[in-house]
Amino acid sequence: MENAIEVNGMRKVFGQKTAIKQLSFNVEEGEIFGLLGPSGSGKTTTIKILTGELGQTSGNVNVLGIDAKQFGTADFKSKIGILSDNSSLYERLTVYDNLKLFCKLYHAPLKEIDVILREVNLEDERTKTVSKLSKGMKQRVLLAKALIHKPKLVFLDEPTSALDPGNMAQIHRGLQKLNEAGTTIFLTTHNMEEANVLCDRVAFLHNGELQELDSPNALRYKYSTHAFHVETFTGDKLVIENKRGNADQIRELIANGQVKTMHTDNPTLGQIFLKVTGKELV
Amino acid sequence: MNVQRISAIFEKDIKDFMKNMMLLTMPLIPVVLALIYDRMGTEEFPLTLLYLIVGVTFSAVTSSTMMTMMAEENEKKTLRGLILSPASFVDIIIGKSLVTGLITLVSLVVSLMILGIDPFLNTIPISGLILQFLFFLFLGIGIGLFSKSIASTSVYLMPVMFLFGFTPMVGQLGFSEDGIVMTIFDTFPVMQAIEAHENSSWAPIGIITLWVAAAALFMFICFKRTVTDD
Repeated sequence: MENAIEVNGMRKVFGQKTAIKQLSFNVEEGEIFGLLGPSGSGKTTTIKILTGELGQTSGNVNVLGIDAKQFGTADFKSKIGILSDNSSLYERLTVYDNLKLFCKLYHAPLKEIDVILREVNLEDERTKTVSKLSKGMKQRVLLAKALIHKPKLVFLDEPTSALDPGNMAQIHRGLQKLNEAGTTIFLTTHNMEEANVLCDRVAFLHNGELQELDSPNALRYKYSTHAFHVETFTGDKLVIENKRGNADQIRELIANGQVKTMHTDNPTLGQIFLKVTGKELV
Repeated sequence: MNVQRISAIFEKDIKDFMKNMMLLTMPLIPVVLALIYDRMGTEEFPLTLLYLIVGVTFSAVTSSTMMTMMAEENEKKTLRGLILSPASFVDIIIGKSLVTGLITLVSLVVSLMILGIDPFLNTIPISGLILQFLFFLFLGIGIGLFSKSIASTSVYLMPVMFLFGFTPMVGQLGFSEDGIVMTIFDTFPVMQAIEAHENSSWAPIGIITLWVAAAALFMFICFKRTVTDD
């Protein structure tokens, strides 16, 4: 499989501050890749470099086979979709008029507007002025704007930050559908559940450095102690190490009907992040 | 340059303009001023007065509208959406200038028709008007991009109006005809347009062209600063 994104030794310095220190990773075509990190870790800077909003200080960046020097071209811009903190809508115009503008800028057929509005559950808001929409609805229009031209690669910076759980789940389903159709998705998020549900692979970014990169399952396995957590009917909570010598103890608890719950150690991505970086993902 | 993208930006801007009360009232300023002068009942208006209306139109309508529109796009981050789309610098600038061009044309023609448009129906005055329009347009775009917020445009609009729009009035302030102040003001676009008109000379048109080139460079530099976050 080809790489949609190739980053080699990317560095970004703002004056005296190094925002990104030697970042290297690849994102495969058709993958949902999550970049996780706390505020100030360099996530948004990374997305901005990958979309051409910022230039890297050093290193090589290649997106969809196009070198960073060519990120300003119409060819590159028409292949990617972006939802970031720099995305915004025309408040005095309707939802339809906002999307119509971007349809025309990207030479996409106007019939796509109704399709995408259905996908983001905003069909009834079609003729509403953007200024009258809730924050969550605006976020969904921005997402529709980023996807209207069916880009090969989508960059989503905190795509569901303003959404309630119902709308978030709907957006997740939409993104999964988009991904099944072959679109590569690069997203940043604070939301571990989101990363868990959506991402094929996640990367932990901390102080501008990559700390871990793997699938959520592989990371959970790597950082699990593999111990059994047993809660008995008498309220005792036991942690039994997963080794041959302890099999009799577990067998005995089950045979005596003492086990209320039992599960293996399964750390969340948030716990793993804390373990790796010593910092909470907020 | 892409016609479909330019027309998309124009279509969006015209809808946005029609819902913006602040911008809708700007084209009325020169028209109201022309009506006031007309009520004074002069038989034939001096050229300086006609060019005052021209200066007011270009500064209060062209520059002001453009400044406000660009500053709003900048402040609300919608400009970044256009920049990140396949639309080029030229597509964005032309698309965004069409609405301003249209309302400037309507405002200027109505104002001059009230006072008498006949003196302008000649090649040199028309060339002067077109170049002045471009100068004020580029200046407006540049300042709009530079100012970052709509509120701050008013700080820049005043000098533009008084220096470049009301230039024909400077002579009334009592400066010496041969003094340095008048010599400098005489090189300003509106004054050069008056000179070109009075003497049917192309040389002042050349000087206005230099002003247009300087404004275009200023606009280009400001736009380049907006394209990336570097």
